[in-house]
Amino acid sequence: MNFDWTEQQLESKKSIGALFDKDALDELDKLESADVPEIKSTILKYMKLLAPSGYLKAAQGPEGAGESLALTAAQEEVSQASSPLFLAVEATVRLFGGLVAGFGSDDLKQEILNRLAEGEILAGVGISEAEGQQTTAVERGDAYALNGAKAFVTNATIADELAIFGTVDDKHAFFVIQSEAEGVNIGPKLETLGYRGLAVSSVELVNVEVPKSRVLGPFDDSAALDYIRMVEAMVLTQASIGLSRRLLNTATAYAKEYKRGGRQIIKYQEIGFKLAELLTLVQTAEWMGRRAAWLVEKGDSEAATVANCAKVFSAESAEFVASAAMQIFAGAGYISGNIVERGYRDAKYASLAGLSNEVSRMTIADDILKRYQI
Amino acid sequence: MDFDLTSEQLMFKEQVIKFARNELAPRVQEYDLRAEFDFESWKKLGEFGILGLHFPEEYGGSGADVVTVALTGEALAQGGADAGQLLAYGAHSFLCADTILVHGTDEQKKKYLPKLATGEWIGCMGLTEPNAGSDVASLKTRAEKRDGKWVLNGSKTFITNGGIADVAVVYAKTDPSAGHAGISGFIVEKGTPGFTVGQSFHKMGVHASVTSELFFEDCEIPEENLLGIEGMGFMMAMQTVEWDRSALLAPTTGGFISLIEKCAIYAQERQQFGRPIAKFQAVKHKLANMKIFLEASRSLIYRIAWCKDQGRPLNHLEAAVSKLFIGDWSLGPTNDALTLMGGYGYCHEYDVERFFRDSRLAAIGGGTSEIQKLIISRMM
Repeated sequence: MNFDWTEQQLESKKSIGALFDKDALDELDKLESADVPEIKSTILKYMKLLAPSGYLKAAQGPEGAGESLALTAAQEEVSQASSPLFLAVEATVRLFGGLVAGFGSDDLKQEILNRLAEGEILAGVGISEAEGQQTTAVERGDAYALNGAKAFVTNATIADELAIFGTVDDKHAFFVIQSEAEGVNIGPKLETLGYRGLAVSSVELVNVEVPKSRVLGPFDDSAALDYIRMVEAMVLTQASIGLSRRLLNTATAYAKEYKRGGRQIIKYQEIGFKLAELLTLVQTAEWMGRRAAWLVEKGDSEAATVANCAKVFSAESAEFVASAAMQIFAGAGYISGNIVERGYRDAKYASLAGLSNEVSRMTIADDILKRYQI
Repeated sequence: MDFDLTSEQLMFKEQVIKFARNELAPRVQEYDLRAEFDFESWKKLGEFGILGLHFPEEYGGSGADVVTVALTGEALAQGGADAGQLLAYGAHSFLCADTILVHGTDEQKKKYLPKLATGEWIGCMGLTEPNAGSDVASLKTRAEKRDGKWVLNGSKTFITNGGIADVAVVYAKTDPSAGHAGISGFIVEKGTPGFTVGQSFHKMGVHASVTSELFFEDCEIPEENLLGIEGMGFMMAMQTVEWDRSALLAPTTGGFISLIEKCAIYAQERQQFGRPIAKFQAVKHKLANMKIFLEASRSLIYRIAWCKDQGRPLNHLEAAVSKLFIGDWSLGPTNDALTLMGGYGYCHEYDVERFFRDSRLAAIGGGTSEIQKLIISRMM
């Protein structure tokens, strides 16, 4: 047992944290109202800054699981600096990159992984579909013809490459397509409650021709989808933790500075005790995220379940933290254009993204029932 | 970073679970209903080596580290040991015996620890008073030196093991004007003239533990029964906090492991509307809540234990986080377990009813949740 980061991990946290100085945070906060080209250039700029640390190629694919804890150490720094940057980067390198590294052909890996690691391209993964729709592909010689639609694809409007989940004769497959390819219709950036700095849009696929070398699968099992669901849970966990941390720090600083009745408001139990609860939730979520990463690293059979537990807990904690931070800021927080107001809107995202908290809970329970099957 | 237990620790854990399941669990319901301390289980805990697990071998212990002691608490609860019995064990081994181990003289250690390790003697610790609970510094029990003896006057309340203890570590003011720094620790043996014990309280839960008042009326104890250095009593009492926030909380995680298993099996067996209730999302939701709490609480407890093993000074903030989280956030999922079992959950035979009552103590005993928030908010 050991609850410390290694020297190397501490060093990596420090050097990555140092990338996000005041100017960087100001620039990243502007993603909120940026247009799509500005979002793209800002994300790429920070990808380039992150590249030398190895952040963009860490823990990709099931084979990269051994780096999960080291990655978590670094992710805690990036997610705290900027929620939209974090998700845009993770969608590119951990979701898309993880699929290619774990399940792609050697040619595809060669074509894509280096460019991802250098921060040269952006990518996304499309899984969710609208009710009644199903993305399917049929074999056509050396290629597949892909048809369907995805409702919410992170990075779609800024991505160079997309991995689209679909089925071939009911078997799972991921189709790696260029966003400019013929038949790929990417909708406008969706207007959203929160995470406005994240380029999410729909993707329609009309007879898109995908060469077999760019198809992951078709698989006889659900390993690739299960893998990507687990990575998604881990990423959303860190996104929630980063957001909660930043809101907690912001609210704490405010409560120490702002005075009422001649006293700092943190000295009032109504405020101080609320902050104590928030800190408790944030620390607990952090340890849960680290433990989940450790289980992934060990290849433990409960890793996916604990990752789901961490996702649900951290997402619900983030909503609680954001609401309480707003309460502490009161009127000053309710005015548009500050971190607390934005955080309040952003916090909802992780509870409904990936596997929604509802589906996550059912998945957690299914695993328990399987373990104690009568 | 690594959350693994060693293979020795895992093996020991399995043994403890088996021990609790076979030797302790069968009598738990009976003693809870009778609201009596189970001396037979106590003897078995001593024979198994649990009561003095972390004492050095020369005092009848095994020299176990704090992580091993914490996992023992987890394993005992997982195997079905009673929470009241585990509370008695905590008060005995950590609050009483460990204070003697850390601060006692060689004579004191030789005299008390071997008997406490076997369970032949039972220990308790007296800090809280009728008018000094969260506000420890305001305690009124007085110790004065007269003719080469210490004379104790005052009373203590909510003392776990009070009514059955052979030896008590008692905190009293040696300098009433000095606040925290005026508190000192003393060892008082059962039967000392002037030392009496009140009736046991009827409590909401942990029925198999005895909770009593202690009275001191011109109670004379020998000079050498001062424990540690005069005026250091508050520090000594606080040093038990790490045990309190790790090994004493660990039964909650163990209890949840067992609760999840019970609920999962019940949900598959119980049929309503023509199918097992495990098929209903509302039931699965509750199971998931229990699991989420279990996973959230694990690292918090072992972090405190591991840091103590590294010889690090207590991190008050982390200890308070651990206590606050387990005390307050366990209540919802505990309620979920009871709800899942419906009418059966409300009845004694199904253990959840007892677990529900017992678990309420975690947010009160050993520093309330409000005191944890006070500590955290002051350190932010």
